[in-house]
Amino acid sequence: MSVVTTTDLTRRFGPITALDRLTVELPAAGVIGLVGPNGSGKSTLIRILLGLIRPTSGSATVLGSATRSPARYASRVGVLVESPAFIAGLSARANLVSLARLRRLPLERVDAVLTQVGLVGRDREPVKRFSLGMKQRLGIAAALLSDPELLILDEPTNGLDPAGIVEVRELLRDLGREGRTVIVSSHQLSEIEAVCDHLVVIRFGELIFSGPMAEMLKRTREHIDIAAEHAADMDRLEAALVAGGWAVTAVDDVLRVAAAADQAADLNRAATAAGVTLSRLVVAQDNLEEIFLEMTGRMDGELASGRAAANGKVA
Amino acid sequence: MLAAVRSELTRLRQPRLLVTWFGLMTLFAVMINTIMITFASGGGSLPPGAPGVAFPTLAELESPSGLMSGLAAASSMFGMVTLSIWAVVTAGDYGSGLIRLLVAAEPRRWRLLAGKVVALVILTAAATTVAAVVNVFAVLPAAGAAGISTAAWGTDVVAVVAGAWVNLFLALCAWGVLGLVIATLARSAAVAIAIGVGYVLVVESVVKMVKDVPSDWMLGTTLNAVASGGTAAVTYGTALALALGYVALGLVLAGVVFVRRDVTD
Repeated sequence: MSVVTTTDLTRRFGPITALDRLTVELPAAGVIGLVGPNGSGKSTLIRILLGLIRPTSGSATVLGSATRSPARYASRVGVLVESPAFIAGLSARANLVSLARLRRLPLERVDAVLTQVGLVGRDREPVKRFSLGMKQRLGIAAALLSDPELLILDEPTNGLDPAGIVEVRELLRDLGREGRTVIVSSHQLSEIEAVCDHLVVIRFGELIFSGPMAEMLKRTREHIDIAAEHAADMDRLEAALVAGGWAVTAVDDVLRVAAAADQAADLNRAATAAGVTLSRLVVAQDNLEEIFLEMTGRMDGELASGRAAANGKVA
Repeated sequence: MLAAVRSELTRLRQPRLLVTWFGLMTLFAVMINTIMITFASGGGSLPPGAPGVAFPTLAELESPSGLMSGLAAASSMFGMVTLSIWAVVTAGDYGSGLIRLLVAAEPRRWRLLAGKVVALVILTAAATTVAAVVNVFAVLPAAGAAGISTAAWGTDVVAVVAGAWVNLFLALCAWGVLGLVIATLARSAAVAIAIGVGYVLVVESVVKMVKDVPSDWMLGTTLNAVASGGTAAVTYGTALALALGYVALGLVLAGVVFVRRDVTD
């Protein structure tokens, strides 16, 4: 069963196409990562799913109901959209009580979610005294208030300290294990890789990938990072490797060679033959970030030229 | 809709907001009574068409309705305060981003808007009560000090106080709706307040100065007439009907815009 489906979903803002005939199905249960470069259409998709904006064309369903009737599923969906939004002069508890009343929920839920996100003891303080991390926790508490089947969280770890990030990561995993579906939009690809079961990648409003995280990670390849003992030898080393038929990319202060671990000795021999002493030779695996950058563009310039090629799609 | 009203009332319990609102009502009630008594006892009057205030004569002040005449005299000032508060509350949802959470939680947007209006009307009743109570406590010592006869003020006192309260309350609700409508359109409290205050203090005043242009139907004049229980230029019934028309038109406009427009920020 799909928790979210979109069919040829398109949204234009004037001449800009934010979503371009996006067709995707998101499975129920588990944690789903929604990733894409800035301006890829993630927020537009989330807003359509929540009924905040309407599509230009195409259709979408959430929990089996069309997004043109969000009242049918609103009580089953919890949201954290962009930055947490609260009334600064009110306490955390009062903010949650106002949302609980709007959703016709018993006020016991307020205590339950405050406990869940670790804000008990600080809940009577005005939100204006909260750090960004505490506001983020409060935003997650608001999303959990209705004990929802589907959670849509935009950058849930934004502003959290490392301990807070680990807590939220565990919380997301637990929510997924409980049988809920959690859609997480994030730029923290390491977080996405750590917690998500399913991945959706969008670029310029178009679907690049949708499938299990394991399937995406199958695309990873081994590579070897090497560096010369003396920086002046790096050009000579690169020339020798290219001459040897390897694909080489300069990444920070190392050369990244597309090669498997069993070619490490060959690389070392090629360097020695070129008169270069290596100070580093590390075999590593691509991570999600590497694959993501390869799919969506590594540099701003690549993105800009891609956008230009996309001819009027969202910037 | 009751859920939306209760939710909005919870959000309105912001100490700074309530202190500002009720504090300004208190300030203007004291100020207008002091100035009004001073002008009346000195036989003076403001130039005709002065924006925002309409002082009674000495005879009017010494009549049974004189006890509450400060409320009508300062109705435009109270109106500006109310317009501003309604605008700040409405636009604040956009400024803070809270509107996203609210619409996601209650997608039937007309319920959200209606809940906000009802909650603000309830607080406007409280603000009107503050102004009425302060008015009574301010006008009695001021009149005594200025030697103005208060002998008639005990006549039909309940009816006079209740009538003045109702008239001011209705006028303030209309001012508030104006603030809500402009804030819904502009999504900015500053813009809404600037337009509202600018209209009353500048546009209407300029129009009134152009003698060939009839101004009795204009918003500020109409709401002043409601707050005063009718004037020589506009009867109470006409003023009420006009005010109701303005409010209905404004609420329809705000409702259509709020329901149909994207929530992008």
